[in-house]
Amino acid sequence: MLPGSTGVKIVTSIVLISMALIALHFFYEWVGNTFLDSGGTVG
Amino acid sequence: MTQVAEKTDDEVDRPQLPPASLGYRLIRGTGLTLVWLGVLTLGFVAHQLWITTFFAKQNQADLAVELEEHFAVAEITEIPYVPVVPPGEDPPEVDPSIVQGAAGSPGLLRAESAPEDGVAFAEIRIPKLESLADGWAVVEGVSLSDLKNGAGHMPWTPLPGQPGNSVISGHRTTYGQPFHDLDLLEVGDHIEVETALGVHIYSVKEVHVVKPTDVWVTHPRSGAWLTLTTCNPKWSARERLIVAAELIAGPNAEVILGRV
Repeated sequence: MLPGSTGVKIVTSIVLISMALIALHFFYEWVGNTFLDSGGTVG
Repeated sequence: MTQVAEKTDDEVDRPQLPPASLGYRLIRGTGLTLVWLGVLTLGFVAHQLWITTFFAKQNQADLAVELEEHFAVAEITEIPYVPVVPPGEDPPEVDPSIVQGAAGSPGLLRAESAPEDGVAFAEIRIPKLESLADGWAVVEGVSLSDLKNGAGHMPWTPLPGQPGNSVISGHRTTYGQPFHDLDLLEVGDHIEVETALGVHIYSVKEVHVVKPTDVWVTHPRSGAWLTLTTCNPKWSARERLIVAAELIAGPNAEVILGRV
């Protein structure tokens, strides 16, 4: 599916997976802070 | 001798499968979607339970060092005690000899300069609660990034140990869950807050639940109060659990209590 040699495919996969995990981390943070535990501040 | 050329992977003859029916494809697609949703949900639970706490505890270790440095360099001054007047109340009658005492007299409060945003300046300890028995660093500010690191002091309220209503917020179920068991506090339990001035001891007077928009819990109060706020119920940001405690001992307690 990915273009290039095996080495390029591995590097591309690592970059894509890292980007997906970082995006997921921020998405999870937003959901958690919005719905589960905002930190308890008032106002 | 005849040479037979080897076929590559793409050229290998594979048995031709009949095209998948629509029903099969629908079931397969639904199954895969559900599997991925399950994986994402489990990932979310793991993130909230363990990953946020892992980072919060790392940050707490760093803040403990920062706190020691802050205690060593904090600038401490003496200021005249001016009683706080809550909104709608008349100013209390004050003995001028105490309010305007000379340096070192009971009329002066010890005070430290306001910490910068995000800086650890205090440690909160609640002996009754396992999660806070050993202390948790308090940083200045209540933004999401501040509260990832530690409990957060609302900058527009007085610092702990000062007259008025000092407000500290903290996570209940994520980021180290410092205020996880705040609902176990009862009237009379003690809360300790250590600042550069020393240890301020508060006695719990009120435990109640309010809406997230009930900002009156942060309003000034006469005397010296500490208000802790966190989410309620656990795993929901729907309400706020409020614990209000009054100063009973500490570097400024005698001056403040003598005037209330």
